[in-house]
Amino acid sequence: MTDPKHDAPADDASASAPDRPSRRGFLQGSSALAAAGWVSGVAGGWMLPTMHANAANPILLGIATDITGPIAPSGNACWQVAQLAAEEINAAGGINGRQVQLFLEDTASDPKVAVGNVRKLVQQRKVNVIFGGITSSMRQAIKDPIVNRGKTLYVYPQLYEGQECTKFLFNTGPTPAQQCDQLIPYLIKTLGKKKFAMPSANYVWPQLLNKYARKVIEANGGEVVFEEYYPLDQAEYSATIAKIRDGKVDCVFNTIIPPGVQPFMKQLFESGFQKNGGVAACVYYDENALNFNPAREMDGMYSCLDYFQNVDDPFSKALLGRYNKKYPNTKYMLTAGSASTGMYRGIMLYAEAVKATKGDLARKAVAAMYDKAKLTQGPGGPCEMVPGKYHAKMNMYLAKCKATGDTTSYDIISKFAMVDPKEC
Amino acid sequence: MATRPSSAATVRPRLWLPLIEKVALAVAVFFPLVLRGEPQLVTLATNILILALLAVSFDLCWGYSGIMSFGQALFFGVASYAVALIGRDLDFSQLAATLPLAMAIGLALSLLFAFFLLLGRRTPTVIFVALGTLTGAYAAERLVSGWQYVGAGNGLSSVKLMQFGSYEFVEGADFYFLVLALLLLVYLGCRALVRSQFGLVLAGMRQNEERLAFLGYRVQIYKATAFAIAGAIAGLSGALYAYHQGFTGPGNLGPGLSTTAVLYCLFGGTGTLIGPILGTVAIESISYFLSGSQTVKQYWPVLLGVLLLLVVAFRPTGLLGLLVSTRERIGSFGRRAP
Repeated sequence: MTDPKHDAPADDASASAPDRPSRRGFLQGSSALAAAGWVSGVAGGWMLPTMHANAANPILLGIATDITGPIAPSGNACWQVAQLAAEEINAAGGINGRQVQLFLEDTASDPKVAVGNVRKLVQQRKVNVIFGGITSSMRQAIKDPIVNRGKTLYVYPQLYEGQECTKFLFNTGPTPAQQCDQLIPYLIKTLGKKKFAMPSANYVWPQLLNKYARKVIEANGGEVVFEEYYPLDQAEYSATIAKIRDGKVDCVFNTIIPPGVQPFMKQLFESGFQKNGGVAACVYYDENALNFNPAREMDGMYSCLDYFQNVDDPFSKALLGRYNKKYPNTKYMLTAGSASTGMYRGIMLYAEAVKATKGDLARKAVAAMYDKAKLTQGPGGPCEMVPGKYHAKMNMYLAKCKATGDTTSYDIISKFAMVDPKEC
Repeated sequence: MATRPSSAATVRPRLWLPLIEKVALAVAVFFPLVLRGEPQLVTLATNILILALLAVSFDLCWGYSGIMSFGQALFFGVASYAVALIGRDLDFSQLAATLPLAMAIGLALSLLFAFFLLLGRRTPTVIFVALGTLTGAYAAERLVSGWQYVGAGNGLSSVKLMQFGSYEFVEGADFYFLVLALLLLVYLGCRALVRSQFGLVLAGMRQNEERLAFLGYRVQIYKATAFAIAGAIAGLSGALYAYHQGFTGPGNLGPGLSTTAVLYCLFGGTGTLIGPILGTVAIESISYFLSGSQTVKQYWPVLLGVLLLLVVAFRPTGLLGLLVSTRERIGSFGRRAP
């Protein structure tokens, strides 16, 4: 039940506030017990001095993300950034004087496991809000136990295919409109690439993203030569490459994901597509994804995301510094494609919303304020929820990968301020 | 097994089974009342009772009819998909209609399997049936994983809540008592069945199938009947699972869950009906409480495997074998010898 080991990382996140660490540690510990319903009414009541009553009554944030399984690299990055966000909120005195406390449940990249574990957050920990889910299938699986059955607020942090307009579910990652509306006109008008190929993995995100991208391509005078879907683990793309190579395609808009994307990018590079003037673009590619393939195969790849480590924004640079200081040499980088930026944004927006309700944690009240919450600074710059739309306006960056020897980085080509999500 | 008045002269061994049954029922009834403040434990308990139905259905196959069925999850899973799809596409989830339908689906599917595996011209071996059902479950899992209409690899989520009239069953005490009542009905039904003349034939088959055949019994028909009833129970279990979890996926159709049902049964004690229920309770609660600890969690499947090996090697009669004598476990029919 209340396994102290399991809670340890959560305590660590909130207990490292500068003053009185030992006492706070104790308070956190006892509140963990209280939260689990063991000694509620005792610890919360008379045992603690009034002054610190709020510390014993923290705001509970549930994090449901993929700590194990194929999506684990992204999930661990999300968990790390969530801990950083909680630590920053607590160091700044909490939300309206109340500390936040994190509870982690592993969704294990498996919806069947996830629906059970998410229930623990709702029913056992009785968290006030849940952040997490990375793939769209995970979001669809856990939103029901959280939002409908669990009557809990849910924040989904990842870039995705759009069309999620569920009440009490807020999306803090970029939508197809935010990712395509700048990138595609740039590819067509500035680079002069008009003939698009859309090789894709066969699941819901590429299907819906491509539907949107195709509209933008055609509206800008481009054409889609082919749009094809492959099994996620396909490793052999010679037929696709042949179609691309025979000169009919000058831009590959890729939505193949790991593990299929590594062989695809390799075979595309070896076909000489880029050397002959072709352009590859992929909207989920972040710093982490560049490491899937050797640097030379990534050179010249275009991406469009809400954050890159090279963005010219003082807060983003400082945040990256704090992240890297807290997790030196971590293999889970702070990147946009891993949903980490959406996670940070989501937690901070929640803090703003609760401040606006003056500490009322009721779902309806918080949702009403979350609906119009704003951040003046965050990863990639400010962001604000579009009222009534469950999605956020945020800065988007168009970037091109540059390979120098064996290392890669993104050159920011342009920044688009406060792009509208165009959803719901 | 009702207690008959016995003469004081005969020394009768203490009967444990009725006691265990009564204690289990009492615990099950009072459990949610005691733990009202712990909804997650009530959810866990409901889940366990639903899986216990699956375990009972497997016990009916293996413990009583000698059918090593790795297909119980197939009947479970297809029924769970059926109710999820009916909820999604027809917006209908009245338990008075969908639960019987789920049982009918389980029954029909298991009859289909029985037709091919049990009712062929030759007498099937245990291995033949085991591999046949295993193949069926595996094929179904693969098929469903690639089928967009049923959600492919993602499964079906946001299953419509089960309704009775306009009342909706969310996870909690009411769902728990509904499942408990159904489990009790199924248990009593199965107990009556295996202690009836029909059960006597099954017991005879277990002892010596050929001799029974020579006596004129069409043993395969008896097996197929038991298998079909078990299929219907698995279907009921699957439907309740989908409604309770609000989710079903390809994993619920495959050999993984089928093997888990085998585990529950062997661990608790096959051929006792109550044993598999206790096995489910034991395995699922241990796994729940251990899952809090990251280190144990990693090795949990290994531990489970080792535990099962130990039980099978040293206590083939399972947990129940610790308390209950072989004679009582196997049971007796007709009059007790003086």
